[in-house]
Amino acid sequence: MTPPATLMVLLPLVLALLAAPAAMLAGVYRPRLAAPVGTAFAALAFSATALAWWKGGGAVNVAWAPTWDLRFHVALDGLAALYALLATGVGFLVLVYSSRYLPLHLGHGDRPESEGTRFYGHMLLFMGAMVGLAMAQDLVLLFLFWDLTAIASYYLIAFDRHDAEARAAALMALLVTGVTAVLLLIGALILYSAYGTFSVPELAELVEPGPLLNAAGLLIAVAALAKSAQVPLHFWLPRAMAAPTPVSAYLHSAAMVAAGVLLLGRVYPLLQESRILLDTLLVVGLLSMAVGGVLALTQDVLKQLLAYSTISQYGYVVFLYGLGGEYGAVGAAFYVIAHALAKCALFLTAGAVTEETGEDRLSELGGLRKPLPLLAAASGAASAGLAALPLTIGFFKDELLFGAALARGPLFAGAAVLGAALTLAYAWRFWAGIFLGERRDGASNPPAALVWPVVALGGLVLLGGLWVEPFARLAEAAGEVIYDAPASIEPAYHLDLRPENLMALATFVLGALLIFSRPVWVGAARGVAWVGGKVGPERLYESSIEGLNRFSDRIHRAEVRDLRSRVAAILLPAGVLVGLGILVTPTDGVYRAGEVGWHDVPLLLALVAVTLATLASTLTRRHVTLALVFSSAGYVLAALYAFLGAPDVALVAVLIETLVTLLFIATLKLIPYKVLHRQAELPLRLTRRKVYISVVAGAFAFAVAWGTLSQPAAESSTAEELIALAPEAHAKDVVTVILADFRGLDTLGEITVVALVLLGVVTLLRGGRLR
Amino acid sequence: MILAISVVIAVVFASGAFLVLQRDLLRVVVGIVLISNSAILFIIAAGLSRGSAPIYPIDEGAVSDPLVQAMALTALVIGSSVAALLLAVVYRLYVSHGSIDIEEIFRMEMREAEELESMNKTELDPEEEEVADERKLEKEEPR
Repeated sequence: MTPPATLMVLLPLVLALLAAPAAMLAGVYRPRLAAPVGTAFAALAFSATALAWWKGGGAVNVAWAPTWDLRFHVALDGLAALYALLATGVGFLVLVYSSRYLPLHLGHGDRPESEGTRFYGHMLLFMGAMVGLAMAQDLVLLFLFWDLTAIASYYLIAFDRHDAEARAAALMALLVTGVTAVLLLIGALILYSAYGTFSVPELAELVEPGPLLNAAGLLIAVAALAKSAQVPLHFWLPRAMAAPTPVSAYLHSAAMVAAGVLLLGRVYPLLQESRILLDTLLVVGLLSMAVGGVLALTQDVLKQLLAYSTISQYGYVVFLYGLGGEYGAVGAAFYVIAHALAKCALFLTAGAVTEETGEDRLSELGGLRKPLPLLAAASGAASAGLAALPLTIGFFKDELLFGAALARGPLFAGAAVLGAALTLAYAWRFWAGIFLGERRDGASNPPAALVWPVVALGGLVLLGGLWVEPFARLAEAAGEVIYDAPASIEPAYHLDLRPENLMALATFVLGALLIFSRPVWVGAARGVAWVGGKVGPERLYESSIEGLNRFSDRIHRAEVRDLRSRVAAILLPAGVLVGLGILVTPTDGVYRAGEVGWHDVPLLLALVAVTLATLASTLTRRHVTLALVFSSAGYVLAALYAFLGAPDVALVAVLIETLVTLLFIATLKLIPYKVLHRQAELPLRLTRRKVYISVVAGAFAFAVAWGTLSQPAAESSTAEELIALAPEAHAKDVVTVILADFRGLDTLGEITVVALVLLGVVTLLRGGRLR
Repeated sequence: MILAISVVIAVVFASGAFLVLQRDLLRVVVGIVLISNSAILFIIAAGLSRGSAPIYPIDEGAVSDPLVQAMALTALVIGSSVAALLLAVVYRLYVSHGSIDIEEIFRMEMREAEELESMNKTELDPEEEEVADERKLEKEEPR
């Protein structure tokens, strides 16, 4: 590949990844600048993606960590182009919207403007991660970008960090998507162990149906389904509505949840080898469609309604993947485009309406078509797109869905119609609830930046209904990557009685029936929602989090309750490990007693003295006696070192022993006699357990010391080299030259430790203050 | 000889462990000093050769391993620093709690933690918590 072509492919990714640091830097310089800089980068990344895609795309494949077979393999194929264009394009509009929305949002909480910088940084980080995720062809690279999106979403959902609800929601999103992300990595490793590559295109050629593929595919699919908020891992999405509206709009249309179906599309060439996996997707998709659709009809809060709608809409996409085939693959891609445009517009509408009226519940809103005509029209177009009315891009998404479902069988066609009717019902409920009916309260003229992004998205939804060609071509290109074979679709209006049209008609009738019969079923739907809240997976999540918390508290309490248990928590496992080490090491004939000659007598006498002094230190009661006894043990040890041919150590040991003894005596002087006396008067009972523990500890020390010292000495050692090298370092004392020269850095570290300890001591003695 | 040194290492270590288990914090410090002494003796004894001091001019015959001596020196200095720091901590604990008995101090801290917890239950406002923390800090320092 020629360098310009490589540049062309990398440019969108580089621009998208640079956006976050650029906006952060601008924001640090002047908070006002973060939004325009970030928006400009999003626009640039979008243009670069479009241009590179128009020029034919391409791939970059270079070694990254060759020893682990990791490659930096990114490609701008159809699938990548689709999701990168969505992430940057929708991102651009959302950022324009945020530039007006965020100051208002921060204003409500009396927060400084500089907090906005953080917001733009994380939004753009998300955008960069999405572009990288879309382009990555290597499963490990994909996993990296995957986790980056989870981290960015954590910060975005908890943007209102003073709100405990938002923090809990962010943690839930992070745990649900982050824990399942590990499954993706495990799946990738399983595939690697079997086929020796992480590259998706290479794997697609290598894999064979079988239990291995089923296991790996299932793990990857669970990660993807959790990210796309599919039942039963859907509960984090409605909670994540605690985020500011632009975040919800972005995460739930073109970014976070889209990442899940993007991953499914990327690994679809592997998944479609296995019938079981496709059937699993089918079931999960249908369940999500049903659960999301029914719960969306019960919600009162605008954003909650939209969140359940997202669950159900991505259920469609997963359902389409499950149906498989040409129509399923292309349909899934097309569905994502249509849904992203419409859903983003609806979220932004909800944000604008709430900002204007201060209400976020359908029951408190109504009649806003008069004060907000432009917003009403634009979001009407978006709702129609979601509900799949003719003349919108949504009509074609349902046409493809019906086509794919019909090819599978009448039962699936029926399910598709039912799901689409639910969509129609809640789309109507959302739009009509806000804009029709009696007017509740006043809404002034909203800022242009809050309306025009909605108008742009609504316009795109309508444009797609009139001129579907560019969207269909993009979806086709993506579908070919998903399907791993040429695919083509011809979405168009046909004025005849073909089954797709009949199904659409049935959907409209059924949808209208659902809307008008609301009083009949609303109680039952609320009941379902209530039962789901009581026994649903969210409860399981909560109780497991609580359980883990309690478990960690219990361990924490047991471990750090007091000093003794703290010491025991370290020593006991260490002792067990040492014991195991001694047990498994072959010891036959290893232990040696060593020879004792006449010249060793002074040494033995010193050893006896040390033993007596230390044993005495355990029996003394008064502190001054204790100081004398333990320092005498130290001095005898120093003499012992001298006998062992270590005069340097002996000298230093004498100095150190003097120092520690003086410090000890000084401490005794600082503490009143009364306090010390109370300790000295403590009765010597209850010591049997302590003696026992000490004896065991000593036995361990004895086993380790004897075992180590018995090992025969090596023939040659570094010591000989060091001794030989000493004259070259212009020194006579080898130990000194080791400390000052050969291992000088160690000594520097040691000096640093002493300096830090001095600082610590001074601070402690002065009551927490250095000065 | 190996056996004799091993026994002494074990005795010093066991005495240190016994002292570490005491209630009296000063004894705990002495215990730690003893344990570090036993470690240093172990390092020196682990030298691969024994003989005259490794200082030039070196006579014919065995020379003591200089490497373990350098390590022992480092360990000695660090050990004494740790002892100094521990003594300062003990003094600090005496100042804040009026005692050098680990069990008494533990009881006081538990009582304080319970008080704080009950305070938190009634006043969940984070600013109040900070005030409570400050109050606790003030209480620690009867100057």
